[in-house]
Amino acid sequence: MAGRTELLGIFQKTAAEIVEREFPNISEKTAISELGIDSLGMLEIVGSMERQLKIQLPDEALATIQTVEDLLNLVEKKSGPAGRSAV
Amino acid sequence: MSPSPSARPCVPGDTARQARLYEMYKTFFDKAEEERRWNPFRDIPYEKINAGVPDSLIVVAETFCCVESYLPDYVSKGINVVRPYFGQAWFSANWAYEESKHSVALLEYLLRSGRRTPEAMWDLQTRLMRVEWELPFETARRMTIYGCFQEMATFVIYVKQEQTAKTQGDECLATIFRLNARDEIAHCRFYEDVVKVLLEEDREGTLRDIAHVAKHFQMPGVGIVPDYDARVKIMREEGKVDRAVFLQKVFFPVLKYLEVTRQELQQAVLSDREERRTHAAE
Repeated sequence: MAGRTELLGIFQKTAAEIVEREFPNISEKTAISELGIDSLGMLEIVGSMERQLKIQLPDEALATIQTVEDLLNLVEKKSGPAGRSAV
Repeated sequence: MSPSPSARPCVPGDTARQARLYEMYKTFFDKAEEERRWNPFRDIPYEKINAGVPDSLIVVAETFCCVESYLPDYVSKGINVVRPYFGQAWFSANWAYEESKHSVALLEYLLRSGRRTPEAMWDLQTRLMRVEWELPFETARRMTIYGCFQEMATFVIYVKQEQTAKTQGDECLATIFRLNARDEIAHCRFYEDVVKVLLEEDREGTLRDIAHVAKHFQMPGVGIVPDYDARVKIMREEGKVDRAVFLQKVFFPVLKYLEVTRQELQQAVLSDREERRTHAAE
């Protein structure tokens, strides 16, 4: 299971690939909207992280993501031994 | 994102699609005639206007009126994109009639409430018509998909503003928002049903177009309605519409109705990106 720092790194790298620019100074408290990532961009990032981590986040939870922390919390919850779904 | 090479083009003479779209139009029209017709001069309780509602709510009503006022552009450009398909073109004609009532009802409200003068509203109309709305997408398929998201978003916003108007004790404005919302969701359903047909015909291409439209989606007033950013800020604050609401109430419900999963859409995005990289490398 990836640690928190590693998850943040995965998010940074994935976001950079999808949005095609770097995000060097992200913290967990950063709002997604401040990163200039639109709704579909965020869904693409989530989708890519799901594939990398072999998890699946529920659609209804994605609408609640406001900050990087919100996303990492969801990912961490799903990544734990009890949270993994058969993918 | 370029159209998939395997996309089936809209061509006149596509008998199966013509027949299906006509049946869909007949159902839509018949139901509208039976259940949904209303008269903006007779069926709105203008006597129940609350002339003391906050300015912010008047700005909301005026902004809706502005956006709806580009009807000549929506109709003329939109109907030509779907012209080859009788059922969808005739739907567009009926859509124009239904949408025309929205701006009329809002204009009447603004004038009869005394919150806007005739001079101010006609001056505003003149300013609005100095700019033309342009099609955001070039194909009938993409415009139909756009219609799904745009009509659903407009429905959601109207419903939220109806609640605000009720809270502010303006039964007239609440009624206008409710009737407008009822039309918008009916329009959304028609577009969604057409997209279901398109998905049956060319799922891969239609998925790519859904992803493309979602990525580049903007509401129709962006860039043309005067002071749009300031107006939208007020509307968002009044109606509490934000990214979360867009995903929860617009994007995911449309996907669910179309029986398209988020994962399928993402796969279409990836495939399209790979294809573009391959073409760029050649």
